[in-house]
Amino acid sequence: MALILENISLAIERNLILEQISFEVPIGQVLVILGNSGAGKSKLLEVVAGLIGNQSGKIIFGEEDLSQLTPQARKIGFVFQDYALFPHMTAAKNILFGLKSRQAPTTEQKRWLKLVAAELKIDHLLSRFPAELSGGQQQRVALARCMVLRPEILLLDEPLSALDAASRERLVMLMKKIQKKYRVTMLYVTHDHNEARFMGDQIMVVDQGRVIQTGPPEEIFARPVSRFVAHFTATRNILPGRIQEHLEAGQALVEVAGSLLLSTSCQVASQDVWVCIRPEHFSFVDETASASPISSISDDPVAAESAQTTDNIISGYRISQILPQSGATVLIELMNRGARLLVFASNRRVVEQNLNVGSQVEILVAAEHVHCLPRQPDDIYCRPE
Amino acid sequence: MKVSRFSALVTVIVLVAGLFFGSPFVALLKSFTVADGFSALLNYQVLAVVGTSLLTALAATGLAAVVGTVLGYYFTFHKQTGSRWLKTFFSLPLVLPPSAAGYMLLLAFGRYGLIGAPLYQTFSVQIMFTLTALVLAQFFVVMPLMMQAASSAFQQVPGSLVKASHSLGADEYTTFIKVLLPLSRPVLVAGVITAFARALGEFGATMMVAGRLKTIPIMIYVKAMGGDAGVADGLSLLLVLLSFMILLLVNFIGEKR
Repeated sequence: MALILENISLAIERNLILEQISFEVPIGQVLVILGNSGAGKSKLLEVVAGLIGNQSGKIIFGEEDLSQLTPQARKIGFVFQDYALFPHMTAAKNILFGLKSRQAPTTEQKRWLKLVAAELKIDHLLSRFPAELSGGQQQRVALARCMVLRPEILLLDEPLSALDAASRERLVMLMKKIQKKYRVTMLYVTHDHNEARFMGDQIMVVDQGRVIQTGPPEEIFARPVSRFVAHFTATRNILPGRIQEHLEAGQALVEVAGSLLLSTSCQVASQDVWVCIRPEHFSFVDETASASPISSISDDPVAAESAQTTDNIISGYRISQILPQSGATVLIELMNRGARLLVFASNRRVVEQNLNVGSQVEILVAAEHVHCLPRQPDDIYCRPE
Repeated sequence: MKVSRFSALVTVIVLVAGLFFGSPFVALLKSFTVADGFSALLNYQVLAVVGTSLLTALAATGLAAVVGTVLGYYFTFHKQTGSRWLKTFFSLPLVLPPSAAGYMLLLAFGRYGLIGAPLYQTFSVQIMFTLTALVLAQFFVVMPLMMQAASSAFQQVPGSLVKASHSLGADEYTTFIKVLLPLSRPVLVAGVITAFARALGEFGATMMVAGRLKTIPIMIYVKAMGGDAGVADGLSLLLVLLSFMILLLVNFIGEKR
């Protein structure tokens, strides 16, 4: 059983908004749709909900062809970015709107209101109007309004993007909990890679109405298929490189930023590549510690090749800036004659290893975390962040 | 302090405009005498005209409220190719000279008219020169006002509210009644009030189809031309006061939103 979209295309006034979108979400799982604004994400949700009806292709849920049903008959909940609460109704009236439209008995209405309000911790807000609620509270009410109808599918269109960081954290955890508890199939639209990684069983990256890559979060983040995906999943280091030697299946020696690195994620035929390394995958060589079991591949490529997880050593870089991040980490900018690397480190590591602006450092990155993408030889422009 | 030329010019224009727009009101007040005015108004014939006016304006407004709201809804939510042209067409009476509108109504609904002739021949129904004709003429002129008020009212309701309503299982009718109408009520009410004021004051189109019937504006015209200042003064003042109160009411509704 699954929610299946087959070749969904949509044109509005001759503009192609969605192009041949297909995917399959097993029932009770979450598919995150990740992309820029204007990529067609919201329109895709509206097509699934039946709010736009002139698409081609098929929408199947279980045994049922949803595209034949009116939006009212689809058992789909829709959570909007602007909450879309009815401003002239109290929170309770908003939540009961769907049950009333379906003419549910009053006792059932009361029971579900109580249950869902308790679950979403909004019991004390029920008599208030939307204007008297904070953004986070409004989105809880909007979520409750969907959940009382026990939807089989829940569509969320950037539900957190209008909220402050603290409410966002609370709400994303709450949504995950509810999704797990009710095993509701979810399509979750966002442009935030952290939200995507947290919520998604699968992530689908879309750009200009087309699917660029679909897969589990680990795969999308570790093995982006294009620079767009790499960029969008916050792979901060996307550097032009050249393959020096193709080794066995998917392994290669790559020259990048003045160093020679072993990559075990290099299914590329061309010589010229983009080398993607996520900033959290670097670590600093601790000079104060005793000799560590590191083989420098530039000294002994053959030995490196045989090892399962091989650390590459990159040296010659100086710390040029240290930028504090949330959550006890810093982003460190390293420079080496024009080449630039961005590296995450914990505050503790910075203190312990005495990392300061101007210090000369050596850093490590495992060969499996050096990911190559094909590159046109003359294309060396790195997209600025 | 040196006054700039521009602000001096603005002041002059404001003053001249004040004089020009104020003078008719002052003149009316000067011409109106309480004794004459009231005795003229409390005449059976004049009261009948006031009654006719209120009755037909109310009926025309009622019709316009329903039809204008439906058309406003249609042009906001059922846009199709060509619906912009259609909306422009329905708005035409707003700018059409009312006498032309009245003449065209005559052509359509007169005893020998396009629709009037078959109506008369088959049902012996005559529309022209009856109260119905007055209502239709006022409705014709006033409906576009209501339609425009309604479509701007519906347009300002966020689209996500309508989508939310549909996705929660409400059909189009329920969404209209439960979501759209309550959220656009102030603008709709203001539209209805404005339409009523306009219907009450309608002269050109009404005149063309009235025959021997009279509404307040027609009566003012007839009496002013005939030299019966008492009735013309009284009725004019009545309309001025009504219009003023209606404007106040509309502004009040506007501020409450």
